[in-house]
Amino acid sequence: MPLDSSTYALAHLRVDGRRWKELRRIHGQMSTQAAADGSSYFEMGNTKIICTVLGPRQPTKSGGRDQSREAIIEVEIGVAGFSGMDRKKRSRNDKRTQEMQYTISSAFASTVFTSQYPHSTITIVLHVLSQDGALLAACINAATLALIDAGVPMQDYIAACTTGSTASYASNDEDADPLLDLNGMEELELPFLTMGTSGGEDKVNVLVMETRIQMPRLEAMVSVGLDGCKQVRNILDGIVREHGKKLLSSR
Amino acid sequence: MTSLKRSYASSTTPSTTLSSKTYLRTLRSGKVQKVVRELYLRQDIPCSSQLCSTCIDLAPAGFHGKQDPPVLSATPAGTTQYPQGHYLVPDTNAFLTAMDLFEAEDAARDVIVLQTVLEEVKNRSLPLYHRLIALTKNEGKRFYVFFNDFRLETYVTREAGESINDRNDRAVRKACSWYGSHLQDAVKARQSARCPAVVMLSDDRENLRKAKEDGLIASGLQDYVSGLPDADRLLDMVAASRDQRATRDEKAKMVYPEYMSMSAMLTGVKAGSLHQGTFSVSPYNYLEGTVHVPAFDRPLIIQGRENSNRAVSGDIVVLEVLPKDQWKAPSSKVIEEDDLTKNENAENEDESAEGVVTEKERRALQEEVKRAHGKVAEGKPQPTAKVVGVIKRNWRQYVGHVDKDSVRSEAKQSRAQQTVFLIPMDKRIPKIKVRTRQAGDLLGKRVLVTIDSWDRDSRYPVGHFIRSLGELETKGAETEALLLEWDVQYRPFPKSVLDCLPAEGHDWKVPADTADPGWKGRRDLRDLLVCSIDPPGCVDIDDALHAKLLPNGNFEVGVHIADVSHFVKPNNAMDKEASLRGTTVYLVDKRIDMLPMLLGTDLCSLKPYVERYAFSVLWELDQNADIVNATFTKSVIRSREAFSYERAQLRIDDQSQQDELTQGMRHLMMLSKKLRAKRMAAGALNLASPEVRIEAESETSDPVDVKTKQLLDTNQLVEEFMLLANISVAGKNYSAFPQTALLRRHAAPPKTNFEELANQLKVKKNLELRSDSSKALADSLDTCTDPSDPFFNTLVRILATRCMMSAEYFCSGTQAYPEFRHYGLASEIYTHFTSPIRRYADLEAHRQLAAAIDYEPLDASLQSKSKLEAVCKNINVRHRNAQMAGRASVEYYVGQALKGRVLTEDGFVMRIFSNGFVVFVPRFGIEGLIRLRDLGGGKEVESVFDAEEYSLSFGERKVELFEKLKVRIEDEAEEGTGKRKIKLSLV
Ligand SMILES: [Zn+2]
Repeated sequence: MPLDSSTYALAHLRVDGRRWKELRRIHGQMSTQAAADGSSYFEMGNTKIICTVLGPRQPTKSGGRDQSREAIIEVEIGVAGFSGMDRKKRSRNDKRTQEMQYTISSAFASTVFTSQYPHSTITIVLHVLSQDGALLAACINAATLALIDAGVPMQDYIAACTTGSTASYASNDEDADPLLDLNGMEELELPFLTMGTSGGEDKVNVLVMETRIQMPRLEAMVSVGLDGCKQVRNILDGIVREHGKKLLSSR
Repeated sequence: MTSLKRSYASSTTPSTTLSSKTYLRTLRSGKVQKVVRELYLRQDIPCSSQLCSTCIDLAPAGFHGKQDPPVLSATPAGTTQYPQGHYLVPDTNAFLTAMDLFEAEDAARDVIVLQTVLEEVKNRSLPLYHRLIALTKNEGKRFYVFFNDFRLETYVTREAGESINDRNDRAVRKACSWYGSHLQDAVKARQSARCPAVVMLSDDRENLRKAKEDGLIASGLQDYVSGLPDADRLLDMVAASRDQRATRDEKAKMVYPEYMSMSAMLTGVKAGSLHQGTFSVSPYNYLEGTVHVPAFDRPLIIQGRENSNRAVSGDIVVLEVLPKDQWKAPSSKVIEEDDLTKNENAENEDESAEGVVTEKERRALQEEVKRAHGKVAEGKPQPTAKVVGVIKRNWRQYVGHVDKDSVRSEAKQSRAQQTVFLIPMDKRIPKIKVRTRQAGDLLGKRVLVTIDSWDRDSRYPVGHFIRSLGELETKGAETEALLLEWDVQYRPFPKSVLDCLPAEGHDWKVPADTADPGWKGRRDLRDLLVCSIDPPGCVDIDDALHAKLLPNGNFEVGVHIADVSHFVKPNNAMDKEASLRGTTVYLVDKRIDMLPMLLGTDLCSLKPYVERYAFSVLWELDQNADIVNATFTKSVIRSREAFSYERAQLRIDDQSQQDELTQGMRHLMMLSKKLRAKRMAAGALNLASPEVRIEAESETSDPVDVKTKQLLDTNQLVEEFMLLANISVAGKNYSAFPQTALLRRHAAPPKTNFEELANQLKVKKNLELRSDSSKALADSLDTCTDPSDPFFNTLVRILATRCMMSAEYFCSGTQAYPEFRHYGLASEIYTHFTSPIRRYADLEAHRQLAAAIDYEPLDASLQSKSKLEAVCKNINVRHRNAQMAGRASVEYYVGQALKGRVLTEDGFVMRIFSNGFVVFVPRFGIEGLIRLRDLGGGKEVESVFDAEEYSLSFGERKVELFEKLKVRIEDEAEEGTGKRKIKLSLV
């Protein structure tokens, strides 16, 4: 039994040795699959995602003609059976997966210039290879990279991260520190929220919280989350620029 | 609103190095998981020594800008070995074997707890882990947790082929060597002279050897403690070390069978071939234990040491049922440990060499078996079982005394180490073997010990002394002993708790100005004629009552309860302390409060003639005492009078008193009788338990006489309205918080519980006891009378009480509604609301009710089911312990009151064994065993025991169950131990 998050107060160190405001190691690559219109591979700690983007293109489904004036963003998430600690197959109709799909789709609908592609569909396919917390955030970041790779015009990146609080809901610990970027073990023990912003920290596109938290602690969490998203955005930006340089030099 | 946009990235982002660790973990279900985790190694973890200036600003501040000050003293204490001062770095086993030493107030300061060690301690023992965590929070002890596995320089990867233990030992050595050189640099930078030694504490020889090789300072536990002042006392706190055990192992003979592996047990329990339950030892026969398992109605019986295989009463064990030819009837004989094993020698176990079972024990058991076999034809052999493993030990600290016969040399000055037996007060706990150098000093004292281990090669568990409580039989020592034995927190409230009290102290008053925030949401009930009725001398007045006739012929009745939740806010230090204590404990001459005196006896207490905050339940009751409506409100009241039960009774009976207050009390009396009649008709049980009052001379508090408590109508008056309030509040809280209401239930007893008693009544008195419902039971209890003896009915009720389940607190979300039922009160829902000064459950109910009536929002801790469950679990235990401690205190005082006296009293036979019988003496509420051997002057008497007829004949005399007889009561100081006991004998 390794130590759990209750030992944070002893030395202000988290279960994996980080301080409260530190992100995990983030690694990303673009254009990982040549066959897709756009693709990326993204890691936040041990959470690993492959993302491919198809489109914009005409809807494949036959039947009623799509009369919409804007592109539809479809999201498919596949969670590999080996990705979690328990070997468990999640079905495509899993409630949580569906909810994540919807969240990601509506987040990008607010930043992609969908009106430029009426009657068409943009499909984002996410494969979760490994899960260790911040699943939704990592999916959003991976999708951002893949959309950029696909050349889909959008206002700005959506960069996402999670924030939590060191004290569990029921204890009224005044000194609770907010925590940036929880890993899987922390997510099981602590209250947390997922946040995605664009334009650095100007616009909040995603804010999801499924655990309970006392109101007074929320402010600190949101504040740390905004700053975390800005850090993630800088990292994403670095990855994009690096990729761009490589493209230019290979010409 | 301030902007949420802030930048937190530190100016000098610390560099971290990423590593990872992978390990396998076995789940309870037997599944194996592979866990991969990242590790961020860093260099900003301080050494936390006040000597070091480089580490001071090393650790980044927390979100609130707080930074932890360095923990370890710049001038740590020196010893003979380390005169320059030293920091201790204990390894895992040091903490496991000597936690008491580390907790000792005058030893072991400036300790570095390594992360590696903390993790291992957690793996090995959760209770010890929690004690260690508590130590790190104790500022005076200066324990610092150094996260060595996160610091780059001290991180150690496990090498191929290296065992986890070896890797951890290496990590401890590496941390020591880092600390050593780091401190040296720090001292050089300060140019001061004293550099404290970093001492690694370990009992692992290999580890010590390697440490010496690496040039580290290392010491074995024993060696280290020997160098401290007062070493003898401290040495006793160190459990027999691995080293000593190792040398014994070579020649040791295994006297107990080996336990099964945990996974084999779990699989067996799952498959149904093995059974799991809590081991409990019979108070009459220390060689017989019983375990209730879900698979059977009746408990499984475990007879003999070999079958109980090192299980101690309270452990959670796994059992295997023995083949049917070994099934037995439960023992009909009293067997006490001191009788059979009196002359054993604690020192030389192998020489006595009789294996697990001594010859005498074997003989005693043999007789049992013979008897059981003879009886098989008539048939009630019950399944027996043997213990094949222990899931969880429930060892605690035990109070007892040193067995005089086991002490080799009594000379006080003898400092030779010897092994002695400690006899626990609790008869169900076996003797404990303890090594000590203070045997001479400890003789005749009450001492506190703990069990460390019980290995296969040892007939008795091995433990160590913690401290002495004082001379046997002195009031101080005996009181502390029973408080410790029942785990009652009796230390004075710490400052942090007292800081939560209102600053005005005793001058606090209900604000005169009704615009004050304290009045918000409160009803002004000061004009009501409220009074309180309590036992004489009661100072913590929880409740007060009033009643008045309404114009429509109905009655307005109010129960007003002290508004404790106004003063005790959730989750502050005072609330935490109260939730830990759970209840006030009443001893004969002492009260151990749940809340500080200022609240309990003054600010909350509904004293007469002053205004107090209250939480009121107001009903409109009709002439039949049916509820027309009920309202709940926070209020301000002014009690007109505080009555004792007797004075209230006199006032009600005195027809010359016609004032409004007395009239109100008469209304209350009339209504309470109707309420009671309704409850009884619904099947509420009227159970008796012998309650004894001790009369003491006030100044010396030496007991003078013992009297059985008297019940007056006014007692019942108060009780009825308290029940009514509790039931009303329970319903209200449950409707507001269906998942998290704190309630109290009393499960219906399983039918088999009453079988024995019903049979006894049938055989001896031709009476029928029915137990199919509480109503049937209540009715048939009424018929169990003996015209020639009015006490017989009470005796039956006492016996019936013992067949009941105990009531318990629970969180409403954990049970289905039908399970809420309170069997004894015949109410479908119940809670405790009326005594918040002395019960934590009531305080929680107050908070829930306050939220239910929208007086204030509900605290988060009361919305979490898991938190509430933990609270319930704790207060259930505390409640039971408080009752037991109270009972033990009465017992002690009855003993003291009878000291030096010889009395002849009426007694009733309540249980018959083949070699003795138990007699209950109503006047003192005591029961005692009369053994045939004592009647025969030390020799067993020829006797005939008839288990079917519940009788025992010896000589001319025949003793039958329920028989009334005269007994002589005297007190007797047991030889050998000097323990005072009440002795009954037949006249
Ligand atoms: Zn330092």
